[in-house]
Amino acid sequence: MRKSFALSLLLCGLCAQAGAAPPRVFITNESGNSVSVIDIQTNKVTATIAVGKRPRGIGLAPDGREIYVAVSGENVIKVIDPETLKVTRSFPSGADPETFAVHPNGNLYISNEENAKASVYDPHTGKLVAEIKVGIEPEGVAISPDGTRAIVTSESTNMLHVIAIPEHKIVMNILVGARPRAATFSADGKIAYATSEISGEVKKVEVASGKIIGRAPLADDKAKPKDILVSRDGKRVFVAGGRANRVFVLDEKTLDILTEIPVGNRVWGLALTRDGKRLYTTDGASNQVSVIDTTTNKVMAIIPVGAQPWGLTIRE
Amino acid sequence: MPLRFLKSTVVQRAACCLVIFSGWLTAAAAPLEVKLAYIGAINASAHQGALQGLEEAQQQGDFLGQHYTLVELTAATTDPIDASAVIAALPTVELVAVAAAHPNLPVFNVTRPDDALRTQCKANLLHVIPNAKTLVDAVAQWQVAHPEAKTVRAQAWHADFEKYSASQLNNRYREKFKQPMDDAAWAGWAAVKLLSDLVAREQSADPAVLLKALREHLAFDGQKGVTMSFRDNGQLRQPVLLVDHGKVVGEAPVRGVVEVEDLDSLGQMPCAQ
Repeated sequence: MRKSFALSLLLCGLCAQAGAAPPRVFITNESGNSVSVIDIQTNKVTATIAVGKRPRGIGLAPDGREIYVAVSGENVIKVIDPETLKVTRSFPSGADPETFAVHPNGNLYISNEENAKASVYDPHTGKLVAEIKVGIEPEGVAISPDGTRAIVTSESTNMLHVIAIPEHKIVMNILVGARPRAATFSADGKIAYATSEISGEVKKVEVASGKIIGRAPLADDKAKPKDILVSRDGKRVFVAGGRANRVFVLDEKTLDILTEIPVGNRVWGLALTRDGKRLYTTDGASNQVSVIDTTTNKVMAIIPVGAQPWGLTIRE
Repeated sequence: MPLRFLKSTVVQRAACCLVIFSGWLTAAAAPLEVKLAYIGAINASAHQGALQGLEEAQQQGDFLGQHYTLVELTAATTDPIDASAVIAALPTVELVAVAAAHPNLPVFNVTRPDDALRTQCKANLLHVIPNAKTLVDAVAQWQVAHPEAKTVRAQAWHADFEKYSASQLNNRYREKFKQPMDDAAWAGWAAVKLLSDLVAREQSADPAVLLKALREHLAFDGQKGVTMSFRDNGQLRQPVLLVDHGKVVGEAPVRGVVEVEDLDSLGQMPCAQ
């Protein structure tokens, strides 16, 4: 009895963020106007939450207690309780919120595609903290692990804007290939990787100098890369290939393509489990999520979800 | 045919004033001054498109250290033009004369579809608007897949096109001019936008540098979902839209008929010997 109490304490300590709920993946369905919830242990959809018109970006609060969803068609962020799976509140987010990143302090950094701005919101008060003028059609947002830098990509001005936090000033503008869509930082925050959808490539950037130190053409006319993530061990980079219907696995150092993993059609979103062993993808035109075993680089499950899955986040 | 000479010159400042920019590219230097010339009717859709492009070029220039102005000429001229490039919305004969009189300047054709212009293969004459054969080929491809579509036609652009962030461009244009963006407006926009992309990459306003870059390493996102570049004959490779009864019904190259990436399945015109 005492032992099992100690064990449950220990287990609870391990799953620091979560309460009673099992580890789950939350997926926005852009045309389905919903969020699908997948149980990681079974890889089955266990709930579908109606969230409103055109949900796209999705993210998890640093303490794991809230899920945020950018509901583009309603110009709001909706907040989901990940335990009860209910929408608990919403707040205005500026025009046409597309995607966002959650800062370690809990603030949301949102790209407002229609008005060439990035906006910073405190999700607890719903108040606008800052607005930053960026290029045309801002899209991807990434925040460095130490929280001192954000990168916003502007798709129609072909730039990565590096923004200092908390000053909320642009400190650097880095020209990259046509239509940059997503960016991510290395674990130490020194390197950023960005995809360009139209030029079909990945650029590797030294954040401090703004220098482009690597380029990976994906060598396929159909490759319209979107999401990008670094593996937990820092050795590989995963790229969602869009219309190439594949996930590209790159060597972090050389950016050589190590392997290509066929998934569903128009793959955009990527999310890794905390242990890095599973990669979940949103396959927008196949209305499915693929689950990749990153040790074998094979698809281990395909999970039907709502219409046009867009983004995803994992809560463990 | 004698050219009508310069009637008026208006210098259009970029709508967006220069803001304090930051970053290593521009930390020390004064902004690069980039002058573009537009020749054609003022307030025609090609002109409005160029102004839309200018505003967007300046938004980029604010970050990267370029300052754009558009010099507006209402008639063709053989006098020297102080600009990095010319956007021409002119009748064919005058277009050819302007290009011939300014061989050092990139001259963008944004309105004339004549196939014959493409076979002339002038080094500095670049056609942003699709040629007639492109539109014919697009309809033919569409009718292979849809034999019943007797009334379909092809266009460079459509104000209701939404894919590939086209809706964002259409919204920006409609907001600024209270009009739908048509083919010439798209071409005027695209001419300025693709040039400004190279100005930023080359950090140069030198017409010779830009002409070489236009010919050799343009990779332009014209908001039609693919990378665009110029053929050797000066024609911009691009998808076109199929429109039936005023509605966008598809895109060419037509999926299932040719490879959708095969832009050279449309409008090929070899250079005349």
